[in-house]
Amino acid sequence: MTDEPIRLAILGCGTITRIEHFPSVLAHPDVRLAALVDLDLNRAKILAKSRQVDCEIVTDYRSLVGKVDALINALPNSLHAPLTLEALDTGIHVLCEKPLATSSADATACAEIAKRKNLVLAVGMSRRFVASHTLLRLVLDEGLLGSLQDYDFQYGGAFDWRSASGFYFSKQLAGGGALLDFGVHLLDSLMDWFGPVSAFDYQDDNWGSGIEANAFVDLRHLGTYGDINGRVRVSRTYPLKNRLLVRGTKGQAEISLHDLEAVVIHRIFQGRPVTETVRIAKQGGAGSFFRQLDNFVESIRGRQKPEVDGFQAARVLQLIEDCYAHAHRIPEPWSDVQALGKEASI
Amino acid sequence: MKLPNWRDKTIFVTGATGFIGGRVCERLVMAGARHVRALVHSMHRAARIGRLPIELCPGDLLDLASLRSALGDSKIVIHCGLGNARAIVRGTENVLGVAAARSVDRFVHMSTTAVYGISPPPGCETEQAPLRRSGDGYCDNKAKAEGAVFKFARRGLPAVILRPAIVYGPYSAWSTRLIPALREGRVALIDGGRGACNTTYVDNLIDAVFLAIENQCALGKTFFITDGETITWGDFIQAHVAMLGQSSDLPQVSKEEAIAYYKNRPGLVLGSMKAAGSVLRSKEFRRLLMQIPVSQRILAGAWRWLESLPEGKRARIRSRVGVRRQVLSVQNGRFMPDEITVATQTSTVFFRIDKAREILGYSPRVPFAQGIRLVERWLRFANYI
Repeated sequence: MTDEPIRLAILGCGTITRIEHFPSVLAHPDVRLAALVDLDLNRAKILAKSRQVDCEIVTDYRSLVGKVDALINALPNSLHAPLTLEALDTGIHVLCEKPLATSSADATACAEIAKRKNLVLAVGMSRRFVASHTLLRLVLDEGLLGSLQDYDFQYGGAFDWRSASGFYFSKQLAGGGALLDFGVHLLDSLMDWFGPVSAFDYQDDNWGSGIEANAFVDLRHLGTYGDINGRVRVSRTYPLKNRLLVRGTKGQAEISLHDLEAVVIHRIFQGRPVTETVRIAKQGGAGSFFRQLDNFVESIRGRQKPEVDGFQAARVLQLIEDCYAHAHRIPEPWSDVQALGKEASI
Repeated sequence: MKLPNWRDKTIFVTGATGFIGGRVCERLVMAGARHVRALVHSMHRAARIGRLPIELCPGDLLDLASLRSALGDSKIVIHCGLGNARAIVRGTENVLGVAAARSVDRFVHMSTTAVYGISPPPGCETEQAPLRRSGDGYCDNKAKAEGAVFKFARRGLPAVILRPAIVYGPYSAWSTRLIPALREGRVALIDGGRGACNTTYVDNLIDAVFLAIENQCALGKTFFITDGETITWGDFIQAHVAMLGQSSDLPQVSKEEAIAYYKNRPGLVLGSMKAAGSVLRSKEFRRLLMQIPVSQRILAGAWRWLESLPEGKRARIRSRVGVRRQVLSVQNGRFMPDEITVATQTSTVFFRIDKAREILGYSPRVPFAQGIRLVERWLRFANYI
């Protein structure tokens, strides 16, 4: 590889591109934005104009073959795998938004073609690039919590993602609901920290052919820190605690989703509860999407490996697939019409 | 006489991402409705109904083409859609127009007892009471929307108007706002909490919707729908206090005190967002506006602009400028509820549901005691308490 800037195209000019990928690409010194791709040309033009960017604006990325080295796939979920596969097949490196695919088989196919063609396939698990992800591992490795007992990971609030295409509530386009959408971040982090999942139990509130707004996943891991159980709760309707709490025999570690750059440790010193906030010293000011892009660029240059490759993404998707396949309905006793008016049943 | 096999017909629900419309969709699914089409104005609000085996149809009450396409081949329309003044009036006319053109079998219009004003005066106990302008934009526009339904009904549209009162239940903002307000000490009992609350448990209301679909005798008629109990605001608020395990000793405010407070209070516009909104809409205020300096007019314009924004954006701006949903009004160290709350909680009118019982065959099956227990279970599950 020469040190010429990487010519990059962004596929999909929806919300995540506008607020994260586009500014990151423009800020990266080693990347030149060669093209914005969107079926809605106007949307792409408005985006380019917002930062006076001079790049190609096209509806079909295929017209860019030979003109770009890499692309970011930020299309609706159902288009992640097909276009990633196609782009890899034509020799283009891909940073694909999460989830890489709506099935683990498609994710594996992407991973394999990248391996075969010796191209970089990085998956946009941006949470891996926040400081707390690394910090928690350091805290665990230092043994600050003693032996691990369990964890509780909650993430939820009224859904407010103003998707330009509105694909989120289409089963066909999104592939799933709260679990696949942001549960994928939580499961990916948990599997990275605590190792592969050896058992699970899954409940959600999908009433049939819809997509879940709420999900509970009970997990058991067997990894570096031994056996550990935990519960994940995600919601698109309810304001949850929005934090991860890991409990150990000597203390607890907490990551608040309001401050992803820190880990708060709760311990007892001589009978008194104390809290300590740990941060990485001299952490640069770059955001997680910039760090993710940088990891992609450095992987293309051969100096790093993608933080999350297609095979890792496929393992998380396999778990999500298994969850959906073995889903139980979350009991909603407040919704049971048969019981209404019958005192004893409530 | 009953509308046969209505569950086999395509049913169109507007306001489907709202509290009542969302429950309508859930209940339709539970009742075995085969094809439900839900009008969705803001897709990001569709998480609750996105769980259901129904069709989400993007559209806007004010965009006729989108309405036509969203309504599709529906034969039953349940119109719960709201929005700004135009959406309430013009939007209802639009849905009526499209429904009439498609010759639907039934049009159930979700009105409100607020057509008699935020604080309905005595004499409004039955549906026979004539409507008159109350000066509140929402109330007057809902009354205008009823007028539009009557107009179409006279031309043959098989329409039924339901007027629920304080609709509560899982997902209701009455509860999700009351809980944090209680925690933060922003609740007072007005006139000892004796005001008529007219609780309407959401599933009682949906029972009435289904009866309005089924029952041919209901056509062209208007029905009050409540739980048929004499629950006061004190009962309603104290039920939530109990959920939190707080002391039932709430601050007390009399209506007279509150009225005097708001009458003498300088900087009216900087009162609660809600109160400012209703004041801005009133004729009196517009008259006053002509007499005050330009700077204040700009301020008033800014509030109006803020009011017109979507909730998410409003919240962001409010948090940036440090304005909460309800600005705390404190007098001599005591919390003072906003004007809308005072008006809402001091009506003495308990609406009668005899007409709904007789003609619709409506019988509220969820008593308040059970309804509030269901709300509590839901609030706990939903992490509000």
